[in-house]
Amino acid sequence: MMTRFFLLFFLPAILLGAAIIHTPQAPQPPQYHLFKVNSKGKAINAWDGPWACVCDSRSGLLWEVKTDNEDTHDGRWTYSRFLQNQGVPNNGDCYFEADRCDTEDLIHHTNREKLCGTNHWRLPTSTELRSLVTTEVKPGSPSIETGYFPKTQRGDYWSSDGNLPLKGVYRYLKVGGAAINFINGQTITIPYRNAAFTRLVTNRSSVCHITHQ
Amino acid sequence: MPDHSKSSLWILLHSTLVIGVICSLFSGLRIATLNRPTVASIEELLPQGEVHSVHFIGAILLSLIAVAYLCSRVLRHHQSKQHNSYHSKRVTYHKVVTWAGIGLIGSALVSGWLLFSGTGALPLVRTVHFYTALGLAIYLFLHAGVYLAQSGVKALQYILRPVAARQTWSIVFCSLLMTSLLGGWLFLRKVSLHPLPVVAMSPDTVIDIDGYANEAQWGKAEILQISTDGGANFYQGSTDVRIKALQNGQEIYFHITWQDPSESLAHLPLKKTNSGWKIQQQGFDSFDERQYYEDKFAILLSNHCDFAGAGTAHLGRSPLPDKPANWHGKGYHYSPTGQLHDLWHWKAVRTNKMVLADDNYIGAADKVRAGQRRYTAGYQQDGKESGAYRMNWKWYSSEAITPKRLPRDVNRLAPYQQTSQNQTLDWTISWFDYQPYSKESDQVPTGTLMPSVLYTSNRFEGDRADVRAKGIWKDGHWSLELVRKLNTQSPQDIAIKDGICMWVSAFDRAQVAHTRHTRAIQLHLGKTL
Repeated sequence: MMTRFFLLFFLPAILLGAAIIHTPQAPQPPQYHLFKVNSKGKAINAWDGPWACVCDSRSGLLWEVKTDNEDTHDGRWTYSRFLQNQGVPNNGDCYFEADRCDTEDLIHHTNREKLCGTNHWRLPTSTELRSLVTTEVKPGSPSIETGYFPKTQRGDYWSSDGNLPLKGVYRYLKVGGAAINFINGQTITIPYRNAAFTRLVTNRSSVCHITHQ
Repeated sequence: MPDHSKSSLWILLHSTLVIGVICSLFSGLRIATLNRPTVASIEELLPQGEVHSVHFIGAILLSLIAVAYLCSRVLRHHQSKQHNSYHSKRVTYHKVVTWAGIGLIGSALVSGWLLFSGTGALPLVRTVHFYTALGLAIYLFLHAGVYLAQSGVKALQYILRPVAARQTWSIVFCSLLMTSLLGGWLFLRKVSLHPLPVVAMSPDTVIDIDGYANEAQWGKAEILQISTDGGANFYQGSTDVRIKALQNGQEIYFHITWQDPSESLAHLPLKKTNSGWKIQQQGFDSFDERQYYEDKFAILLSNHCDFAGAGTAHLGRSPLPDKPANWHGKGYHYSPTGQLHDLWHWKAVRTNKMVLADDNYIGAADKVRAGQRRYTAGYQQDGKESGAYRMNWKWYSSEAITPKRLPRDVNRLAPYQQTSQNQTLDWTISWFDYQPYSKESDQVPTGTLMPSVLYTSNRFEGDRADVRAKGIWKDGHWSLELVRKLNTQSPQDIAIKDGICMWVSAFDRAQVAHTRHTRAIQLHLGKTL
């Protein structure tokens, strides 16, 4: 009878006590191919911040992250496409240049500040930029992982692919550059003079490498 | 313990009672975790998910058994009178415990059905219901535990092995029980709705969305009063909500008032300390702030009238096994079938100045987004084209933050330093009246409070701005007017038509700890004039 008393009363009491003592573990971030990098070039945890860059461990590319601080990397700034004397200079809008802005201005400023510890920032190719496109997004959100790439606009982002023939109403301008539309992920060719958004990339950083799985 | 077995009928009744008590007890304790942190400390032992339905099915089972028991008592009393039969009056331990158990079940049923009906002093009734449940848990040990300890397996044989004869009554009763259970469940779902007549008016009538409801048309609308409870900070966690509704064939208007002793507008204010800027908060880190938060009000609209907010309330820390746990342990809102439910979320600071309620929805549980610390399952916002508020910190930390912007003139912050509760201040700040933060420009004195809600434009644009709303707080009450098109054609909204159901929740300076009510409100749309 004593054994039965023990089983029926003591064990439930222990169970109850254990449940009271036990503290549920806080949720942890899942493993993911993207990781955050701070402005000094140091990798940080998925739920930590602030961060200035994101590494895609699948491609080994380190991406610039946009802000709303009205600094060089503000996501609302627009740029005309101007690279190596090709394109249209100073036809976008930003606060960090006395004149208006183009893609080379952003590259120049970002390399000078050694964002995330590297000074090899450049425009991404359209293939590289398309690798950021994701379709499973929340209503009204841009087609990108906004948890890693906040302040991304639903609009066109410049790629480095240029000298492409323009069609339709822009035919008379002859050539333009490829941009990725982060509303639906489509690649389009737009005139160099257009004020579009820009996200820089580098494949030459010490923090971001391809993970071989 | 007697050596003879029980009848099949007794075994059936007793087993049903055991199932009913266990279902009700465990699901009820899970529901109690919402506003009783002590119970939440044993959350691992409690079921998770849509437990409200389990609780109500348990209640129907217990009620049926209670009716059967009362009938049998009356019958036995009548028979013993006829036959002058002798029953032992000897008081034994098990008799006392059984009578205590009967009393507890009776009390649980009465208080439970009162809570379900939403009548009476809900906080008091809920307290009685809770302590009755604890009494029942103790009763289980004193009754079943002591029997098992005394007799071991024999006790189980006694209550589970019937005598060979007299099976017919059991079959009849079992069928009756199942039919009654099913009928009771359907009856409960059908008749438990609060009808809300939506009075028709001419499309030419102008209703100004200003929170005052002083147009003559409001005088013609019927008032539905709903008692809601279980929220944080309200007096005893409870507030009575009064609802009126009008429609003009194009739009539906609501005027809603509820008691709230204080107008809470200091939404996560920032404070300058010796070690930098800090967010004033006590639970925001686990998304359950109850002190430094704005007042809010939520309306859920659905084509379904199921319990637990159209079946969207799933309690527990991990009600979705393949998805992240929630930080506060309360649960998630999501739609297991993927059915969309509309959710309007009025916020006294973040949306009131925009004359909007945040147009949200509850749908299927969202995919896990690795970079986002808070997973909200099915609770999502409608899309917007532009416009928003932003929080004035570069990155959230419970320790210290860096503001995005500081006032160009520090004197702008002077009104926020007064501690008077009576002073109504605008706790939003304009993006363009403030400048980007830099350490060098931060001349704000230590101890200064600063609002954290930055308006970048005067309102949302797009689907998220479908619900216009304005609330006014006066004399311990909020008065809120809302309007939305009956059919917005948005894939994130439901069309409002006759017979749809609605639930309301009030938040008193609480992020998620809202009041609730059990029975849905059903809209009855009159014909347009």
